[in-house]
Amino acid sequence: MSSLEELEDESGDEVETMTAAEVLSKLEEAWLNEKFAEDLLEAKTDLVECMMEQISEMEDNIHRAKKGDFKVSIHRLEIDRIRYVLSSYLRSRLTKIEKFATHLLEEEKLRKDDEPSKLSPEEFTFAKDYDKLLESHLRNLALRHMPAHIQTLDPKQTAVRPNLDKYVFLRVNEDTEGVLVEEETLDTGEEIVDMKKGDQHIMRYRPVAPLVASGAVSLI
Amino acid sequence: MLAEKALDLIRELERSVGGSLPPYNEDRVRQVLEEMRVLCEQNQKDVSATVAGESGLFSGVQVRHAALERNKRCLLAYLYNRIEQIKKMRWEFGSVLPTEVKYNLCEQEVQWFGRYNKLLANYMRSIGGCGGLDLTQDMKPPKTLYVEVRCLVDHGEFETQDGNVIVLKKNSQHFLLRSECEHLIRQGILEHIVH
Amino acid sequence: MNMSLFLSVENLVFIMATTKRVVVKVIWNMKKRVLVLVAFDVDAMCACKVLQSLFQCDQILYTIVPVVGKEDLERAYLENSEGVKHVIMINCGANFDIVETLQPLENVKFYICDSHRPVDIHNVYNAVQVKLLMKETELSVPEYDLLFRDEESEDESGNDSDSSDRPVPKKKRFDDEAIERRRERRLWEENRNKVLFDYNQFSSFGSSAALLLFELAWKMSKDSNDLLWLAIIGVTDQLLHYKTPREKYIEDVMALQSHVSRHNHRDDVDIISINCLKIMYDDEMNLSLYRHWSLFDSICHSINMACKFKVWTLKGQKRLHEFLAEMGLPLTQCKQKYSSMDSSLKGNIKNIIKEQMPKYGLEDEDVIVPSFFAQYGFRNKLCAMDITLACASILESFENGNTGTDSFLLALDVLDRSNVNAKEKGIEMARKQLQAIIKQVQIFLDMHQVISAGPFLYAFIQEGTPDVKFFAHPQCLMRLARFTLEAHCSVSRNKRSKTLPLVLGAPLDREQGTLLVIGIPPLSLDEERKNFFGKAFEQAASSTNARTLHDKFDTFIMEMKTDDRSKFFDALISLLQ
Repeated sequence: MSSLEELEDESGDEVETMTAAEVLSKLEEAWLNEKFAEDLLEAKTDLVECMMEQISEMEDNIHRAKKGDFKVSIHRLEIDRIRYVLSSYLRSRLTKIEKFATHLLEEEKLRKDDEPSKLSPEEFTFAKDYDKLLESHLRNLALRHMPAHIQTLDPKQTAVRPNLDKYVFLRVNEDTEGVLVEEETLDTGEEIVDMKKGDQHIMRYRPVAPLVASGAVSLI
Repeated sequence: MLAEKALDLIRELERSVGGSLPPYNEDRVRQVLEEMRVLCEQNQKDVSATVAGESGLFSGVQVRHAALERNKRCLLAYLYNRIEQIKKMRWEFGSVLPTEVKYNLCEQEVQWFGRYNKLLANYMRSIGGCGGLDLTQDMKPPKTLYVEVRCLVDHGEFETQDGNVIVLKKNSQHFLLRSECEHLIRQGILEHIVH
Repeated sequence: MNMSLFLSVENLVFIMATTKRVVVKVIWNMKKRVLVLVAFDVDAMCACKVLQSLFQCDQILYTIVPVVGKEDLERAYLENSEGVKHVIMINCGANFDIVETLQPLENVKFYICDSHRPVDIHNVYNAVQVKLLMKETELSVPEYDLLFRDEESEDESGNDSDSSDRPVPKKKRFDDEAIERRRERRLWEENRNKVLFDYNQFSSFGSSAALLLFELAWKMSKDSNDLLWLAIIGVTDQLLHYKTPREKYIEDVMALQSHVSRHNHRDDVDIISINCLKIMYDDEMNLSLYRHWSLFDSICHSINMACKFKVWTLKGQKRLHEFLAEMGLPLTQCKQKYSSMDSSLKGNIKNIIKEQMPKYGLEDEDVIVPSFFAQYGFRNKLCAMDITLACASILESFENGNTGTDSFLLALDVLDRSNVNAKEKGIEMARKQLQAIIKQVQIFLDMHQVISAGPFLYAFIQEGTPDVKFFAHPQCLMRLARFTLEAHCSVSRNKRSKTLPLVLGAPLDREQGTLLVIGIPPLSLDEERKNFFGKAFEQAASSTNARTLHDKFDTFIMEMKTDDRSKFFDALISLLQ
């Protein structure tokens, strides 16, 4: 990490107040959350763009560096590592977008203007095109040739939706009290958990989903 | 039995899990569609007979309708899962499919592959403003900058970033930039040697 | 150690210890891809692994291509030479003119780390393109002036021959001078030929390439126990394939031992993880693979013991039984797996054998070899000799259509310490080889197929013998030849047989009708292990126009057409008489 800071000092014209190291650790957190969460989380477009800039800056620095400087290889490896985190983050988002395309587009349609979108503009374009592509493929090969009255593709039946009841491992970042873990049912009472910073839990994803979004807990 | 053929399609896919994609079974798909057509015709006949006053045909219609739905579902599942496989290959082999894989795809699937390619390329180009990011690279966490590899097949010439040309010949060993040869390792041309 | 490791051949000035890195630095700093050409022997493979680890430390890109013979070397160089400025050759390339053979571009440099001797004089004196990575003490090259005349005089002589076309009077004027000069030149040439003949007459082996590169790693402070183990295997390979005399082996072992104790001084045994490689020095019984066999079988398949007892005869078997009985080793124990032998016997075997040795005419040398063991993890001890044999046998294995380079990689896996499977396979293979060898030796002796041709002994493996495919490979053939020679000498009544070298032929390819022929020096010259067959083969072949192929880096091994055998041997006999 020190290499990153060092490079950043050289450039010195960061728009945000975050250091490169902080951006990276934020990105790493987002990456892990995205990896372990069942549904798509909000896109961290800023982090991605910031890191991309960092990479190209570091690459420039390396080009300027003396040949045979042994620091170069360390910086290169650092770039490789950052790029891996970035790619892996975007890849896991893309997999989810492809899988849940119909579902996500539905959500997007229902989204109110003041709510933030889960998809970045680029991802939105991708999701839309992908959904269309898939549907037309199914239509061309099969639906078209079926009897007229069952040619429709009902999203309610066919769309793949995330399983929010999956269990996840999580670590608490901020003290949070009164998390409703289990709704009251006929047999059992409701279950409420107070979370302390540093605690680790295994629980269903659905109740903690808002906390993941707010950053109060991290998935591990 | 009703919808038997559609189930065959699913079984065929199931058997090939983890292996290569089986050829697109056009005959079987056509048979399923044909079965659906026949079922539908019979239903229509029975429905119009019922309308005309005949009774006792209703349960037959229901069974046929369930079979129709099942056929539809199986057919769609067949196509959908093939697409998933094809997508996986895009990430493994890159934008050009090996010919032996291509033989197993139907015309539409090949077209789909091409369109998906374009879509993915457009998206990757648009990441992070300038230049974009190739997401098909960096598939594994990097441990070292360079890796020791053995060449498993005669691959021919390979140009490295610095413009050098290396001949990848079977059983030769090389020490290369990991980022350069990652896709060759994934394609099974090189083997990464870990001690 | 008083020799500097690196020898810059420019004007034969040896780079001394302080500046020894010069050669290396050239490669190291270029940060350009290096082409490494490796011969097919265990020592070369070990050296190559040492080199790989050095390159990886400094992130130098390389390409490694194994090469079987000279033709292969040329092809590999042509294929991979594009953009390559530095070529390192391990156990190949020293004993022929590399620049002449490969016709490289002028800016390509060759670094030759080869134990083959003598080094071709052109390689020694081509200071610009060829650098030798060898110990200076092992190189006794004739002086430059004796071999080359400076350009000037050559120009003159060139003019001389040209001038024969010119009008006669002009020539006459210089007559005396010219005659004098020509006479001088003739004398010089005669002398040159003599010097060259003496220099090239015998082929032998210098220090192991693995050892040299390990010492290089050491001087660069990049040595480790793992690299040391490779150096040990390289040196052991030279012993097991009769490349260097025993004395040289002991010398190398001494050098290695100091490294071993440097790396393995363990007052703090507990601190070091069991997963670290540990190396120990110990006297080892010179019995092939006995840890993976039964003691009895091992004795029967080890050259020295087998020949002393003549185990292939009934009498010999009896004597061996007697020997074992006298040592208090029950036969049932000896014939079961060594690993399951009674542990109270096992621990003592070496000492008991040592005690009983003199009575049976065994000498220390026959039974005991100083060697090394490695231990790592909770597994069995690995013995350097076993691993070397395992590796060599895999290198020359021919199972399920493996090509040469396949076996090369498989053999590399044997050296990888964590690859237990490969090791076990190797030992299994080595056992099969040894069994084939002893069977063949028995056939030779029973059928009296080792024949004296006067100046040398010879034997041919008949086409169609069951294990013939084992012997179509140089290293295995080498061990067979040695076993045959020792066995023959131990039974022969002729006192002279100890002073005779042996030529051995094995069918190589039935369809093409070719033979693999090896010549090894007589036992009486064992202290030197100098081999004159390289030159002798060449001369005999050229005088008879026999269709031979001298492609191997070991000049004393060659291929020939079976049809040309008799005329070739007639020539060889008259040559050596």
